[in-house]
Amino acid sequence: MNNILPFPRSRQASRMQGAVAPRSGAVQAYQGPTYYQQPAVKPSGYGWLVWTYTYVAGLAGGAQIIATIADLVGRPRLASVVRSGRYLAGGGAVAGPALLIADLHTPQRFMNMLRIFRRTSPMSIGTYILSGFSLSSGLAAIGQFFAGPRRAWARRVAKAAEIPAALTGAGMTTYTGALLSSTSTPLWAAQPRLLSARFACSAMATAAAALSLSERAWGDPRNSASLDQLAIVATLAGAALSSAASADYQRQGLDGALSDDSAAARQHALAGHIGHTLPLLCHGLAGLMPARSRPLSVAASLSILAGGLLMRSALFRAGNESARRPRDYFQFTRPDYEAMLLPGSPAPGGRR
Amino acid sequence: MESMPGMNEDRDQAPDGMIANESELTAGVRIVPGRRYGFFTDTTRCIGCKACEVACKEWNGLPADRLSLSGMSYDNTRALSANTWRHVSFIEKMGDHGERPADMPPYQSHWLMMSDVCKHCANAGCLEACPTGALFRTEFDTVVVQQDICNGCGYCVPACPFGVVELSAIDGKAHKCTLCYDRLKGGLEPACAKACPTDSIQFGEIDDLHRHAARREAELHDMGVSEAYVYGAPGTPGATGGIDGLNAFFLLTDRPEVYNLPAAPSLPSTRMRPAFLAGLATIAGLALATTGLLLSGSRKDPPQ
Repeated sequence: MNNILPFPRSRQASRMQGAVAPRSGAVQAYQGPTYYQQPAVKPSGYGWLVWTYTYVAGLAGGAQIIATIADLVGRPRLASVVRSGRYLAGGGAVAGPALLIADLHTPQRFMNMLRIFRRTSPMSIGTYILSGFSLSSGLAAIGQFFAGPRRAWARRVAKAAEIPAALTGAGMTTYTGALLSSTSTPLWAAQPRLLSARFACSAMATAAAALSLSERAWGDPRNSASLDQLAIVATLAGAALSSAASADYQRQGLDGALSDDSAAARQHALAGHIGHTLPLLCHGLAGLMPARSRPLSVAASLSILAGGLLMRSALFRAGNESARRPRDYFQFTRPDYEAMLLPGSPAPGGRR
Repeated sequence: MESMPGMNEDRDQAPDGMIANESELTAGVRIVPGRRYGFFTDTTRCIGCKACEVACKEWNGLPADRLSLSGMSYDNTRALSANTWRHVSFIEKMGDHGERPADMPPYQSHWLMMSDVCKHCANAGCLEACPTGALFRTEFDTVVVQQDICNGCGYCVPACPFGVVELSAIDGKAHKCTLCYDRLKGGLEPACAKACPTDSIQFGEIDDLHRHAARREAELHDMGVSEAYVYGAPGTPGATGGIDGLNAFFLLTDRPEVYNLPAAPSLPSTRMRPAFLAGLATIAGLALATTGLLLSGSRKDPPQ
């Protein structure tokens, strides 16, 4: 369908030739005309409330998944992981909706989200994921709070709620990535798979880091070792996906918003250092030491938690910036111009 | 389906001072619920008078926007917004280095003018994104925001592939062109089309407009304007990536990007499934890792 563009050839051709640099699969950004550099799409109005929400949603969802798995594994010493995980998820279940409602421009109408279900809208799907997660995580946390030797009902409530809570928790870690990708913002729309996978890794890494900290503070420090290992796995996966994303943005010619000298680009680089490099270094160092190092583990956990928030903030800001860059959008919405413009290919604009 | 039962049944008895089915007189089309209506904006006829912008503002009671000089061209409106639902863009073609070209092809050689508007997409990204149902498809196949439902979540704003819909800072709701939903219900042609002095903006039934556009394109080709092409009709640029067609479509004479239009836009919701699948697969893998690590970490403990 894309080879039908009947664009005028004569005067445009020379300007359009620059749009393609046939060097090893990488593509130069769109070089063609714009309308006085005016944005071609509108940026989202999403700021700190929403990126903090995606962070909290990921952290809470991940904590619930870990708590549920720990409960199903059924070893007594993991009881404190289950407890902390349920409280953390419960806290997120309260904070998440509050952040989102605060971001609405007509917040008194937040209930209108629940008047329909729209399967084409990740925002609508997410509303129901969040509602389910809040309900089930709230029940699990309440059950956990009241559980005791004399209160079997409380344990049963927590037990009944934990599976739906973990399943909706998986949705919480992921849907925010799908929500950003299902827009016309070039930076988000260009990588639907990578973006939500990166969000999922960040969610599990931050949840494991938070629980590792809480185990050292209030639980069984031996559990911190397993949780640190999980944080390492998730951070390694996140770092790999992040560099895959950078390479893919370059390949698509959309790396401008993340590589040009801007606050968002600098923040994105910093998020990589703090969220990926630093914690992996800490854990690497700790691995070289004869005994477990508590300060290194704590430093790595704090670093992962800070890096995760920075990453969300950077991706939101860079995304909004990419929407303001008409060349990024025209690059993203380019027709199959390799076929149209590469030397030796048939001339563009074969009329139907 | 000549006339549907219900509210438009008594259209022939118009209220005092109104002409019944006025659109038949002004646009040559009778407005019947259940049929598809839209705009065909022929940019080769546009003279840049901005009567459409003014008529739209007046009819819809929209406040002024950005009262300053843009410093670019004659376009101080700059973009569609919550308070601007028609926007005339001005593209001055002065050659590549600011020199006036010595020879130019006929028809708007030095100036391109286009009255931009909400495209009322056949598959609309904003409508698909709206979680409250405030954005809906009307009985005239147009896309409208219900102001009493919208809660200002703002998701339609980045969803729109054409940068049309915007949240109003005044009332915190999303606003855009309604294709004069109220006028259509009253049998009136939309304000911008009625005000257009050159018929650059044509209102009518979609199928008729497609025929007009094809005829006009052929006519222009015969006159030597070989660059003329339709943007937004099914199978043309703009109607790509699942969008299928724009109920407000255009006849252009330069690349879409020159008019600030994307050459091959796509429907945002097409990216939802891959995103969910990849994210959930990642989480499943990490959940497996969690199970393994928690089991091996506590393997010396007895089971509960």
